[in-house]
Amino acid sequence: MKKTSVIILSLVLAIGAFTLAAFAETYKVASDTTWPPFEWADAEGNLLGFDLDVMRCIAMLQGFQIEISSYDWDIIFDDVGSGRMDIGASGATIKPERELKVDFSAPYWTSDQAILVRTVPDPENPGQFLPEINIVEALAGGYRIGAQLETTGAGWIEDQVIAKGFDASLNEYTLYPLAVLDLINGNVDAVIQDEPASVASATAEDAIMVAGVIKTNENFGFFVAEGDPKGLLALIDDGVEQLKDLGVYDNLIAAYMGTDLVKVEEAWRASIGLLESGDIVGFASQLAALANE
Amino acid sequence: MSTIWQSLYLLVAKGLPTTILLTLALLGMGILLGFPIAFLQVYGYRPIRWFCRGYEQVFRGIPALVLILLFHSGLSRSFGILLPPFVSGLIALGLRSSAYQSQIFRGAIQSVSEGQMLAARSVGMSKLQAVWRIVLPQAFRLSIPPWTNEYSSVLKDTSLVSAIGVLELLKQTTLIFTRVQFIHGSRWILVILILAALIYWVLTYFGNAGLGFLENRMRIPGFEVKGQVER
Repeated sequence: MKKTSVIILSLVLAIGAFTLAAFAETYKVASDTTWPPFEWADAEGNLLGFDLDVMRCIAMLQGFQIEISSYDWDIIFDDVGSGRMDIGASGATIKPERELKVDFSAPYWTSDQAILVRTVPDPENPGQFLPEINIVEALAGGYRIGAQLETTGAGWIEDQVIAKGFDASLNEYTLYPLAVLDLINGNVDAVIQDEPASVASATAEDAIMVAGVIKTNENFGFFVAEGDPKGLLALIDDGVEQLKDLGVYDNLIAAYMGTDLVKVEEAWRASIGLLESGDIVGFASQLAALANE
Repeated sequence: MSTIWQSLYLLVAKGLPTTILLTLALLGMGILLGFPIAFLQVYGYRPIRWFCRGYEQVFRGIPALVLILLFHSGLSRSFGILLPPFVSGLIALGLRSSAYQSQIFRGAIQSVSEGQMLAARSVGMSKLQAVWRIVLPQAFRLSIPPWTNEYSSVLKDTSLVSAIGVLELLKQTTLIFTRVQFIHGSRWILVILILAALIYWVLTYFGNAGLGFLENRMRIPGFEVKGQVER
């Protein structure tokens, strides 16, 4: 009799524990992880980046689980909009056309567009480089401009350059890295993309540089399905505010923006255990410290 | 050099399993659906034959990527059916493969001469018995060479599901070349793509070698097929 009650009791406890675990909802996060420093995969295949770590910290704060998937940019809005994926965290600019499909969080980042061009050696300063064409030529001199499909950069070229009668043409790519490759290979003459990613690209090789920045003041937002059926936006917005109050947000910015990618990856692998054990503040401050060492 | 090994390791460890799993699942689905369709297209009653012909024509006539997008975004937008990306890719490519495979099997069944059927019937076999014991064993052997073609194309078609976010070999390739581009520069994109191409090539080569082995093993002396698979 005693044995039976022990078995029953442990069964009940086990079921209870499972139910509790099940209460920690898992939400599916979609991200185009070809876009450092906001999201990419490190040498071991771990997904990291500013957006993803902000989402991880919010999930820890608000007590839910997330599962991040690598997505192609051009179907992210469809798949979050349809509810197949729960959250989009992919450096997405808040735009009216996109709000037809998805609902955005409060802005968490402001970005401008940058124009990448090929370089030529600077005759005055050996070892230094100059842009092959200047920003005016790049935008209005009859050159071919590359951009990622359905990005705000591509939209800017269409609306502000081509529609206004300046002489330029637009080549669109599904992946941003392929636009950069085509720039270096000479198949396009300039590439427009958000400033942080452009700077990261230009840092990696001497063959390209940022010719100029276009002030667009775009706000990035996380996004969920239209009407927010799972009530996630409040959790995300409140989470971002809490991260700012805790100083975590500034540390994540310090860790990811303008730092060396390899260093950030090493710092991330050394620090992610802290986040997994629940120490959000410790994670962010160690990540920032190691990345800027 | 370490970047190459690291990338190769990542491709094999994180991309290859999904590609292999998907290939096997697609081929299996293609046989399970394609064989009955071929059988019914040859021996079925007229309305069934029409249905099978329609099925085969639809799924052979639509590009694989269009099918994938139809089953992925089309179903969710029009009917609210939310399949995981792997599943929508599996269904789309599986139906495509079953249509192609049905034609391989149909060709094999029909290349067994009508005289054999008549001979089998004349010694007292029922129609079903004749098909099962005389036609199909020969048709199976005849279908292996064209089936190696289907294996080779199904394997490489799996790369199309990267478009809907399935982390297989090609998607893993893009993740890796993004990273190495941002760290070592753009010329590395080509290196990583060549590594991926090499993996696809090795899979195709050894898969076909295995099928060639099967073909030789299944050979029956006196059954009129010319030549052997060279290995």
